Amino acid sequence: MLAQLLEVSSTDPEDIRRRRLLNILLLGTSALMFLTLIAVTIAYFVGLAPPEDFKRLASIILSVLASLALIFLINRRWSGWVAGWLFILLLTAAFALSDDPRQVVEGRSLFLFTIPILMSSVILRPWASFITASVCGVVITIIAMLNLPDYAQGSPPVPTILGFLTVAFVAWLSARSLESALIDLRILNIGLEDRVRERTFELQQTNEQLILAYERLQELDRLKSRFLSIVSHELRTPLSAIQGFAEMLQAEVYGPLSQKQRGALERIMANDERLLALVNDLLDQARMEAGQLSLTIESFNLRDLVEDMESTMRVLVESKKLYLKVHVSPAVPATLKGDRKRLHQILINLINNALKFTQKGGISVHFYRLDEEHWAIDVADTGPGIAPEIRASIFEPFRQGDSSSTREHTGFGLGLSIVKQLATLMGGSVGVVSEVGFGSTFTVRIPIVPPTNNANPA
Amino acid sequence: MSEKFALIIEDEEDLATIFSEALKAGGFQTEIIYDGYIAQQRLNEVYPDVVVLDLNLPHVDGNQLLNQIRADPRLEKTRVLVATADANMAEMLDSEADLILLKPISFIQLRMMAERMGTAEE
Repeated sequence: MLAQLLEVSSTDPEDIRRRRLLNILLLGTSALMFLTLIAVTIAYFVGLAPPEDFKRLASIILSVLASLALIFLINRRWSGWVAGWLFILLLTAAFALSDDPRQVVEGRSLFLFTIPILMSSVILRPWASFITASVCGVVITIIAMLNLPDYAQGSPPVPTILGFLTVAFVAWLSARSLESALIDLRILNIGLEDRVRERTFELQQTNEQLILAYERLQELDRLKSRFLSIVSHELRTPLSAIQGFAEMLQAEVYGPLSQKQRGALERIMANDERLLALVNDLLDQARMEAGQLSLTIESFNLRDLVEDMESTMRVLVESKKLYLKVHVSPAVPATLKGDRKRLHQILINLINNALKFTQKGGISVHFYRLDEEHWAIDVADTGPGIAPEIRASIFEPFRQGDSSSTREHTGFGLGLSIVKQLATLMGGSVGVVSEVGFGSTFTVRIPIVPPTNNANPA
Repeated sequence: MSEKFALIIEDEEDLATIFSEALKAGGFQTEIIYDGYIAQQRLNEVYPDVVVLDLNLPHVDGNQLLNQIRADPRLEKTRVLVATADANMAEMLDSEADLILLKPISFIQLRMMAERMGTAEE
């Protein structure tokens, strides 16, 4: 309500500030006048004031109120400059007529004129105080000359005029410093707004870039999944077709085979199986990197796991004239919970790895209870052992125990990396103890109660 | 007793041949169909004892064909072996298959399965 009353039609912040101030002064003065009018009216009705005084005072107050309203309108709609001067002049005139002429020129009433002088510096311009001081000087000189015989010679009341100018100077100084401080503040404000706008813009840009990067990542993820399914289908389908046809020939569906043909067929099948295993390793590696590999947890018989391992590996081990010893400690529960297929994969990878490097002797697999919460598998070989300096890196993907032997030992070097990642996925771990010249022992620790995350219950 | 009849619906020609030979070796008479739409038509004319069904087929997919077989009282005794490389797809079938075979499927295993089926209901 008050804010609406104070509103002015301007865009210059300094102008707005001055005109608002003038509005406040106008409203304040009007309220004062209005209260005076009420007081005078009461005094008249109570009988304290004679009728002619009441009439004179009431008409003066009413005309002042009307002038104030007019100035208020000018200030709001048109010009703070004109309105300000009118107000200052009105005040000066009111004070000039308010007292006995001598009092006005020399007496106590003098201080009244400092009010318009101070006000003009605030509601008009700082330097306006000097003009008002001059106007006041002229006014009291005229009053003095018209009313006081000792001033009739034409000498103005110099001390009073000097007093006005001093007040004007002080008013000018304070108004000017106030104004420049306000302007500085406003400039600082504008700078702040610019900075905020800049920062907001930068933030928006970063946001957009992040969204783009995120979308690109999602696209890459889709491509990766697509690549995986293509590899899975396009490589595995022909490889399993080769396997199927070879098995067909081996089963002599198309007639009997000679010894040499049978031998060649076995080579075809062995190579195909190796390729298939490599493709599966690559797929597993990619899936694990993408976090897409999940376990299927179910109850299984430890004996089944051991038998599967033996039937898969026995021929290969024996074809290298090595032994495969298996020992199952009775402390391991006969029925376990976990992903049997992946445990089988861990065993096959570890035995394959041992097989790759062992030339004489053999491989021992030991299943045992490690502690309250874990069971474990040891796969020990009588191979050359692993040098301490490369022991740390053998579980990284695409590593070979010895890079010089890469040609001899085929494969991507993914076997141990997959073992490690599978063991981790199962909530377990894998480690190796090795002495050069005496072989290596890989130990896989697996919790008896599988963790619930990363697993699909079967 | 007439020979048992197996319908093989598989768009990979090589895999279809292996399936067919395995079933033949197991005592079946076989027919191969490489297209889902043609299989849809053919299933209205024949009485297969066994259907080997791939899921990814051109025109009409294996899931729809399985629904068709299960909805047809004529084919009440037909056993359906679903052959797929994707275990997740096998879990999302609308109707029940008699057996899910995860690819790669071994010739030897399929032949053994066929031999068992061929003699089980004599």
